[in-house]
Amino acid sequence: MTTTDNAVENPPAHEPAPRERSFPDPYQMETPEGAEGWEDMYAYHNRFLPTRQAEDSAKTWFRNSLHYPEVSYPFDQVTIDGAFTGTGVTNTRVFALPPAKGLDVRVINGYTYMSTIASPDAEEQARRAEEFGKRAGYYFQNWDSLYAEWEGRVTTAIRAVRDIEVPPLSEFEPIERITVDRGPSQANQLLAAYHRLLEHGDQIWTLHSEFLNLGYAAYLQFLTLCKEHFPEIDDQTISRMVSGVDVLLFRPDDELRALARKAEELGVGELVLAATTEAELLANLAGSDAGQTWLTALDESKDPWFYFSYGSGMYHSHRSWIDDLRLPIQAIGDYIHRLRSGDDLTRPIDKLQSERDELVSHYRSLLDAEDLTGFDETLALSRTVFPYVENHNFYIEHWFLTNFWNKVREFSTLFQAWGFWNDVEDIFFLRRAEVEEAIVDLQMAWSAGGNPQGGHHWPSIIKRRKEIYEALSNWNPPPALGPVPGEVNEPLTIMLWGITPETVERWLTAQDGGGSRTQLTGFAGSPGIAEGRARVVLRPDQLDTVQEGEILVSPVTSPSWTPVFGRIRASVSDIGGIMCHAAIVSREYGLPAVVGTGFGTSTIKTGQLIRVDGNAGTVTILDESTGA
Amino acid sequence: MGKYTKRFNELNSNDRPLVGGKCASLGEMVQAGLPVPDGFAVTVDAYEDYRDASDLRQELLRIVLGADAHSHASLQQAHDESVAMILGRELPLVIEQEIRSAYLTLSNETAQRRGTDDSERIPVAVRSSATDEDGDAASFAGQQETYLWVVGADDVIAKVRECWASLYTPQAIAYRSELSVADASEASKISVAVQLMATADVAGVTFTVSPRTGDRSVIAINASWGLGQSVVSGEVTPDEYWLNKLGPTLTTTRIASKAHEYVPAPGGTGVVFRDVDEARRDVACLTELEVLQLADIALRVEKHYGCPQDIEWALEHHADGTAKVMLLQSRPETNWKKRKEEKSKNTTKGTSNLLGFVAAATKGEN
Repeated sequence: MTTTDNAVENPPAHEPAPRERSFPDPYQMETPEGAEGWEDMYAYHNRFLPTRQAEDSAKTWFRNSLHYPEVSYPFDQVTIDGAFTGTGVTNTRVFALPPAKGLDVRVINGYTYMSTIASPDAEEQARRAEEFGKRAGYYFQNWDSLYAEWEGRVTTAIRAVRDIEVPPLSEFEPIERITVDRGPSQANQLLAAYHRLLEHGDQIWTLHSEFLNLGYAAYLQFLTLCKEHFPEIDDQTISRMVSGVDVLLFRPDDELRALARKAEELGVGELVLAATTEAELLANLAGSDAGQTWLTALDESKDPWFYFSYGSGMYHSHRSWIDDLRLPIQAIGDYIHRLRSGDDLTRPIDKLQSERDELVSHYRSLLDAEDLTGFDETLALSRTVFPYVENHNFYIEHWFLTNFWNKVREFSTLFQAWGFWNDVEDIFFLRRAEVEEAIVDLQMAWSAGGNPQGGHHWPSIIKRRKEIYEALSNWNPPPALGPVPGEVNEPLTIMLWGITPETVERWLTAQDGGGSRTQLTGFAGSPGIAEGRARVVLRPDQLDTVQEGEILVSPVTSPSWTPVFGRIRASVSDIGGIMCHAAIVSREYGLPAVVGTGFGTSTIKTGQLIRVDGNAGTVTILDESTGA
Repeated sequence: MGKYTKRFNELNSNDRPLVGGKCASLGEMVQAGLPVPDGFAVTVDAYEDYRDASDLRQELLRIVLGADAHSHASLQQAHDESVAMILGRELPLVIEQEIRSAYLTLSNETAQRRGTDDSERIPVAVRSSATDEDGDAASFAGQQETYLWVVGADDVIAKVRECWASLYTPQAIAYRSELSVADASEASKISVAVQLMATADVAGVTFTVSPRTGDRSVIAINASWGLGQSVVSGEVTPDEYWLNKLGPTLTTTRIASKAHEYVPAPGGTGVVFRDVDEARRDVACLTELEVLQLADIALRVEKHYGCPQDIEWALEHHADGTAKVMLLQSRPETNWKKRKEEKSKNTTKGTSNLLGFVAAATKGEN
């Protein structure tokens, strides 16, 4: 503790005396050049505050690059704060998970770091255990009916956000204001509508977390049991015994296949192939009955299946299929070509199902009779909880957030019309509280019949923040901050984030320059071995650069990239444990994947020849040249 | 066959009291259609009748019981006297003739099958086959002798007698001198296996359970060039092949530098330990196809016995490049049971803590 005390009084110079290995101290982080003033983009509660240094420097902070690989936009911090609030309250206050509470969250240089709140002591754990038994027990025993009810509540929340009306701020209030309701003015309603949007954006995370840790814990029970009986079994084999064959995340891609088939049946395949944008589709197809029929089918598929983010959905910038139909249109075209070459495009559901059954009976046959009941019971519980674990992403991150971000854009369009800024996307460079300030500005000006101040205030701030954002994006954030953790044994952290003692050691080795430059180690996400040229994709908008036969290297992949998986040979991600999307999708599509490599995107360059070993969890750079 | 010898195909695991564990197991494997080199057992009765015919029984018992288990000199002297006695007395003609005839039959049949002209000189392995259930006791009792590349009926008979004599190592005498008369007598029963030598160019060991973790879904194969002793004795670092039983599929291959090998001596008798030529040293000694073939056989053996096995095998390559697997012996691998008892050790406290709460909640307890 002496070190920490000294650090408080007298921050060490650049090169401190030899000491134990550690990650960088959050209070010693330098601001990247050009990013001066980044702190203004985030609320005080997200920052490392100088007077809290003794406490915060003593903790280990892990970068949450699984959910937040990119620099946070000021407004998008809404989802980050919301998500941590949701898990926190569910663990700590709703179910009273005995051994674990929530996480502290900080942003440094635009990147999100988290640190576990200390575990409760034995006395508190005992009190919590009593509550947990009652509460979690209720959920486990009524899982299916509660899950069905949950789907209803989430769908209601999604519709509610979609239906929020942004007042037009018309010249006069409508006459009904006089003759019928005499309610609040459009100015009042503007603020109320914004608050309602934030309310939903906040509450959705409680829904998101409602079943999640219970689901993961139930799965972990089966995982642990399997590893006790079969110490060498890999995680993917265990998840294959549990996972469903009709996961919602595959549904959007299935819709594209169905649309391709439909186009061929209707004889409009050529017209679809000739289009690259939605406008071209309409122009090509609206003229015939068959074309109209196909366009109707397209519309039916769109809601909800095209509310599918190109990224994790966590950033407004990821956009969704519904916002830009180019990728789905291209994918439908690919599928039409595949149909013509004789592929029937059906996913081998029966085969997957029988493989799963075969796997289970194989492992059952290796168990002693006395162990079968425990195996069957934990497997059954895992299968009960898994639909939620696999499907909640579609509801929340894809369907809900697509609606949420687009509703924010509706507000922005109004501001744009009142001269606050030029680009609809600019609103995301304001913090949520700043948007409220802008609303008050607009309320006052519209109500009085004057001009708002916004256009004189925000443009310069937005311009500067865009520069800062760019500078922060080019900075390479360390995977962890602060002291090396004594032990990493929180089971859910290990399962979800892939943070194990070995991961921490790898990070330290790489940080201290000891890592191999030609070999990366991660988790074996999906079996198989493939070689090919690498394509590094840092953001969803770079997806269209991916060429046939390349190996996708990305910070983290998203289910909506699935159509791209038809073009690639294998995938490599920086982040993710065995349950991450990249692993699930890769297994489904039979592509080798290595996830959680930590340094894939910063080590591998586009064009390099690499080998992905999805059995061993290694990636090897075979040819340093980029083949360019 | 007669009272004193039994062909493997006449035996099964119930015959342990008659022919010892090793022979009974080999018989069982032959009957199960597993590829075991042919051979015969010299029964327990052969040694028992030999002892009775020449008054050896009482004399040997006197030596054993008279030995001072704590005196090295006394044990050594008991050993020397016993061995001299067993090797020196005349073997009853009926026993000798039956062993001789069993060997010649085996040798003739084999030469005919192989199309060679050494019909009376086919090499065999001569090994003791313990009757004791407990392998540890058997090893104390000195029932672990093995003679390889034994050629000709005279030599076979001589080695059978040496197997008998191996009951009287100083340590075996010490072990039995502490037992009651009845137990000591029981612990000095012995059978001998006479089995065709596998003319292997690759040999090794297969575990149908992971030797590192006790995982029953794993098969581990260790293999090296030449005859199997080098792997069993640990004189070379073998290649390692790890498989998942599902399939089975090869998961990991670790190729070692295999510097030495045992090969049959040029004269046809015995073996020589020699350097492996550079070209083969760092090359995998099994193809993937051979690995899978071995795994399939190992699974059949495991299924036959109903528990994980530790299997010694040898591979003989034919002129056309195909390989014939021969099983030399199979025993239950018992360590995995012990590991199973420690299985929860790898689960962290954090996990078992959380899962305790979850398990209680799912059962509606709190």
